[in-house]
Amino acid sequence: MIWQDIKTALQSIRSAKMRSFLTALGVAIGVFAVLVMVGVGDGVKAQVGGQVSSLGTNVLTIASGKIGQSSTARNGQQQRSAGISLGSSLGASTLTQQDAQTARQTSDVVDVATLSIISSSITRGTLNSSTAFVTATDSSYFSIRSTKLANGNFFTNEDNKNSSYVAVIGSATKDNVFGDQDPIGKTITMRGKEFKIIGVTAKVDGGLSFGAASDDIVYIPTNTATELIGKNDIYRIIVQVNDAGNVASVKSSLDQSIKANHMGSDDFSVLSQEELLGAFDSILNILTTFVVAIAAISLIVGGIGIMNIMLVTVTERTREIGIRKALGATFGDIMGQFMTESIIISLIGGLLGLGLSYIAGFVIKRLTGITPIYSIKALLVAIGVSLFVGVVFGTAPALKAAKKSPIQALKSL
Amino acid sequence: MPKTNTKVVIELANLSKRYDDDAGIYDALKSVYLVIKEGEFLAIMGPSGSGKSTLMNIIGLLDRPSKGDYTLDGVDTNLLNHKELAGLRRDKIGFIFQVFNLLPRLTILQNVEMPLVYKRVPAKVRKKRVEEVLSMVGILDKINNRPNRISGGQAQRAAIARALVNNPSIILADEPTGNLDTKTGAEIMELLKHLNKKGVTIVVVTHNPEVSAYADRTVVVRDGHLKITEVK
Repeated sequence: MIWQDIKTALQSIRSAKMRSFLTALGVAIGVFAVLVMVGVGDGVKAQVGGQVSSLGTNVLTIASGKIGQSSTARNGQQQRSAGISLGSSLGASTLTQQDAQTARQTSDVVDVATLSIISSSITRGTLNSSTAFVTATDSSYFSIRSTKLANGNFFTNEDNKNSSYVAVIGSATKDNVFGDQDPIGKTITMRGKEFKIIGVTAKVDGGLSFGAASDDIVYIPTNTATELIGKNDIYRIIVQVNDAGNVASVKSSLDQSIKANHMGSDDFSVLSQEELLGAFDSILNILTTFVVAIAAISLIVGGIGIMNIMLVTVTERTREIGIRKALGATFGDIMGQFMTESIIISLIGGLLGLGLSYIAGFVIKRLTGITPIYSIKALLVAIGVSLFVGVVFGTAPALKAAKKSPIQALKSL
Repeated sequence: MPKTNTKVVIELANLSKRYDDDAGIYDALKSVYLVIKEGEFLAIMGPSGSGKSTLMNIIGLLDRPSKGDYTLDGVDTNLLNHKELAGLRRDKIGFIFQVFNLLPRLTILQNVEMPLVYKRVPAKVRKKRVEEVLSMVGILDKINNRPNRISGGQAQRAAIARALVNNPSIILADEPTGNLDTKTGAEIMELLKHLNKKGVTIVVVTHNPEVSAYADRTVVVRDGHLKITEVK
């Protein structure tokens, strides 16, 4: 009977091609929106994850504020929850050069680099780039992050000590400001001072970091930055530990020594790569859930479209229902026939949406560098959701059809 | 024509139908008694509004009486639920309508096999049976056509084939010639007469004396009463 119902449904769908297609399109757009949002969310998560873990498992990050490790005592039990307390992580940094020095002196620590964000645009003649992320750091940062050079050299510890006005720029910044020219030895102006370009970093594939592409970046020595702007707000301290096995002990030792630096105040976080990733993930999850929820509304609208068109179909086919009932169709037979039809329309929409989201995946990758991730889960979700929509929004019209009195139905034109 | 077989197919006893709606109370059928035997060809006549359509709907299990008993093939239909009634319609009754009532989207094969589909008969068996009844009514060559590609007479033949396909106990025909020209109408009545001679029980509802002339027996409904019972 199911096979017969499918045959009947396909026949009916074919007899009203345009209408069926438009109805299916409603579901397609809903499924498409949900899949793309989930795919992009997963893609960003994987990219950030890849970037964070590219730092290596033997790296600790010290950040201002409490991030990702709030613990509260509830019902006598210690509960931990991941997340970022925005109030404590934004605003003026609580980290100091003394903290970086403390980290350098901690046993098992190989190297330490501080990271500060300088707000400045870059000018070269009439060219101006305000998108670049200007970062002040130590020469050790390049070795900790294993940054690759396309051209020239990194600045050295000497450059830092001498507060040299030198800069290493990202490949995107180089393209923006210099185009095809070789930038080595040329200068850019930041905050009214000229900086000599000494190196260009290699292109990082699909990099994504703090909202700016990590290729659109300018690195300058920490001391130079302090001289330039008169102070040094440390955004992050990156700590390289000699062995991944010692990360836990270094972390707890840093927790205590920096707390002592801060007069016992718990206004900083020492995070391993997993914890950093966890904090990113939890923010991304909230965002993804929110956006997917909005996308899901379009699915509901698509479902209402199916219900609407099926109600029209049932009315148009009242006589057919009467004939079928006179010939022996039961309540269940008629119910099954119309449910099958709405489920098939919805499924067609679901598959269409799946196809569209794959095409959109390529477009998004080209335009933004984010690779949306569609798992087999997405395929199952698309099919499951459209089945669900077909059943939920097909029930009322099918019930209406099955309940019709055969006499009344036969009388209708 | 004396019938040797006297098995009772339909028995209506003290059957009444009352409509009680916004328009008020209306008695469409008043205490009707009727016995139809196997192999009979019965005509139910009457002017419009007489109650003959109500009577046909009740016999066809599309409507239920307000009072009284209807026994079909020994089954008391008052005791049946909707699903069982649908099953009886499928297995025991074949409908023929004035306007043919074939579904335009389906082929003749698909139209004729429909009662068998609802009986969950396998496709191969269905097709064989459809071919059988289509050759019985003489339009086997139209099996893959759609209703809009055949003439009115052929469409009514297809509808007769659909009514026959389940080997019903009785065929109910409601003005079967109403939408056909005189010659084609006569051909359809000849076909029904022919089927009746082969043993099919037929009840035809009509206001046309030319149609009732084919019947063995005619009953007339007037103001909800069965007035005259005339046996040829």
